[in-house]
Amino acid sequence: MRKTSFALALLTAAVLTACGGTDPRPGDQTPKTKFTQQVTFGDSLSDVGSYAVGGVAAMGGGAYTINGDATSVSPELTGKNYTALVAAQLGLPAPCAAQTGLLGTASTNPALNFAVPVTMNANCYNYAQGGARVTNPIGPGNRALDKAGATISLGATTVPVTTQIDNHLKKTGGKFSGTELVIVMAGGNDVLEQLGELSAGATTAGGTALITSLVQQLAPNATNPATAQQAIALAAQTAAAQGGDSAAIITAAFTAAGQAGNTTVAAANRATIIATASAAATKAGTDYSTAHGPELVAALGKAGAELAGYVKTKIVGNGANFVVVNNLPDVSITPSVLAQMTQSPDIQKLVATMVSTFNQQLKAGLGDDAKILYVDLATVSHDQATNPAPYGLTNTTTPACIINDTSKNLLGSSLLCNKNNLVSGDVSHYMFADGVHPSPFEYALIARYILLQMSGKGWI
Amino acid sequence: MKVRFNVVKLLVAAGALAVAGGAMAQSKGQFTVSVGANMLKPDVESGAISAPALPNSIGDVGKDTQPVAVITYGLTDNISVETAVGTPYKHKIFGAGAIEAGGQLGTVKALPAIALLQYRFFEPTARFRPFVGLGITYAMFQKEEGSFRMTALTNPGAGVPTTFKIDDKWTVSGQIGAQVSVNEKWFLNASYIKTRVRTDVHFSTNQTQHMKLDPDSFILSVGYKF
Repeated sequence: MRKTSFALALLTAAVLTACGGTDPRPGDQTPKTKFTQQVTFGDSLSDVGSYAVGGVAAMGGGAYTINGDATSVSPELTGKNYTALVAAQLGLPAPCAAQTGLLGTASTNPALNFAVPVTMNANCYNYAQGGARVTNPIGPGNRALDKAGATISLGATTVPVTTQIDNHLKKTGGKFSGTELVIVMAGGNDVLEQLGELSAGATTAGGTALITSLVQQLAPNATNPATAQQAIALAAQTAAAQGGDSAAIITAAFTAAGQAGNTTVAAANRATIIATASAAATKAGTDYSTAHGPELVAALGKAGAELAGYVKTKIVGNGANFVVVNNLPDVSITPSVLAQMTQSPDIQKLVATMVSTFNQQLKAGLGDDAKILYVDLATVSHDQATNPAPYGLTNTTTPACIINDTSKNLLGSSLLCNKNNLVSGDVSHYMFADGVHPSPFEYALIARYILLQMSGKGWI
Repeated sequence: MKVRFNVVKLLVAAGALAVAGGAMAQSKGQFTVSVGANMLKPDVESGAISAPALPNSIGDVGKDTQPVAVITYGLTDNISVETAVGTPYKHKIFGAGAIEAGGQLGTVKALPAIALLQYRFFEPTARFRPFVGLGITYAMFQKEEGSFRMTALTNPGAGVPTTFKIDDKWTVSGQIGAQVSVNEKWFLNASYIKTRVRTDVHFSTNQTQHMKLDPDSFILSVGYKF
C-alpha cells in the first residue's frame, strides 16, 4: 500500500513534467537597434552591382562572387555578398548600387557591350564599386589602366571611397541621419594597383638587365663589336617593345648577333649565355622589387590613414552613429598572390606587410570610438587560410570560378562568374570565387563575423 | 495542463496517499514531504559548435532556482527512496570562447526527473541524520528558444531563424545531505546532488555541439512527517 503511494507520487511528477508545448522555438528575431537603412562605401568586396549592366549583366555577372541564386545547386550559392546578408538579417531592404554604368568598349553585341551610361540611383545607398581605391580615382578595371592595344575594355568607374562619401552627402543634404548602419571597407585595390605598378617596374628592370647581359655576351664575338652592340640592343628592345617575353627577346638578340657575324660562338655557348642573361634579369627584377617594396608599404600606410580620416571627419563628423569599418583582409593568402609565388617568392611577405601597415594606420586613425566598430577581418581571413576546417571551408587556395579561359570568362574575374562557369566538383565551400574575391559561403562567414562584433559592441 | 503546478495541492495529495507513521524521522514505512528551493547550476564544459563556425565557438549555461518538493519514503529504518518534483528550470544560454561577444543566445527549460535510493545514518530517533544517495535521473530539455543573435551568428540574412534541440538523457546522480528534526513533525532538509549530464545540441543549421553540463543541485527544504 505504502509502496503504491510512492509510485503514484512518482507518476504524478512524471505527468506534470510531460505537459505543455515543448518544441524548440525561434525566439525574438528583432535586433536591439532598429536601423533605418544601410549605407555602404567600398570596393568590389561590398559591391552589389555597380557594373551589373550591359555585357556584364548579359553574361550573368554583376557582383564579385559566384553570381546568381544557385541554391538549387547548393544552399551556399546564394549569390549574395556580406552587405546583402547583413541588411537582410537586420530587416533592411536588399542593398542596391547607388551608381551604375560602365565606360568601356561599346559593341552591338549585347554580351560585349561595356559602354553603358552612368546613372545615379536615388534610392540606392550602396556606393561600393569594384576597383575603387581609398582616394585615388584610378583602380583596377579602370580604362586608364588598360594595356596598349586591348580590344576589350570593361571601363570600371572605380569611384574612390572619398568621392563615394561625398556623393552620399550630396544626396542627403550633407548629413547622416544617425540611425543608419554605415559600412566601410577598402584598401584591397590600393594593394593590387601598387603591386601591379611594382610588377611592371620589376619586369622593365628585368628586361633591361636581360638585354644588357645579352649584348655584353654576344657583341664581342661579332665581326664589328661596336655596331653589333647597337644592332643586338635595338633588335632586343624592339622585341620587348612589341610586348615580347624573355624568350622572344633572347631569340631576337641571337638573330641579330648572327646577322652581325657571331654565329659559332653564340651557338656553342647559347645555353650558358641565356642562363647568365636570365640570372641577371631575375636579379634586376628582384632588386627592383626589394628597392621599391618599402614605397608600396608606405603608400598603403598612407591610404589606411586617409580612410580613417574620411570615416572620422566625413562620416562620423556628419552625424553617423553606427559605422562598421572592416579592415583589409589578408590579401597575402589569396590565390592571386599564391600564383605569383613561384615567380616572386618574396611577394607574400611584401603583401602581408602592406596589409598590416594599412590596417595599423586605419585602426590607429579610428581610435576608440563608441560610434565606430573596427572589424578585424584580416585576422579571421588569415586564420581561415591556415585552419580552414572549423570554418567549413574545403579550399582556400584556388578559385571556384574558371578565370584562365576567356571563352568561359571573358574578363577572368568573378564579376562574370556564375554557376555556369565554375570549375568542376563541389565548390560550394571554397573560400575564393576568383583570385581575390570571396565565394558566397565566405561572404556568409564574413557577415556572421561582422554581426558577432556588432553584438559585442551592443548594437544588436 | 500547465507544467507549473500548485505545490499545496501536491502536498495535500501526498498527505492523502500517505499513511501516518510514527514520530520518528524517516523510519520504515514513513512518508515525508519537504518543500523548498533548488538551485540548479550547470558545471559546463562546452564543446565547440561544429563547422561552419569560428574556432572555439563554445557555450555557457546559467543557473536557475525554482521551488521544489522532496518526497521521501522509508523502505527500512535506514534505507529510503526519494524523488523531487518542481517547476522547470529556465537556463540562459550564452556564447563563450570565440563567440563570447554574442552574449545571451537563447534559453532552455530543464526538467530533471530523479529517483534516489538513500542510506540514512544513525537511529530514526536521532535529531541529526546525514544521508547519502544514488539514483537515476531523466534530464529533459524543453522549449529551447533561439534569438536574433543566434540566427545572426549561424545563418544570417536567410530569413530562416535558427532553432536548436538538446538531447534528453537518462543518467545517474549522487547525493549527500542531512535531515535535522525540529520537533516531532517538522524537519529541515539539505542536500547536494551531482548529476552526470553529457548531451548534444542540434541546431537547425545542421551544426552540433557536445555539452558536458554535469549540474550541481543545492536543495534546502522544510518538511513534515506524515
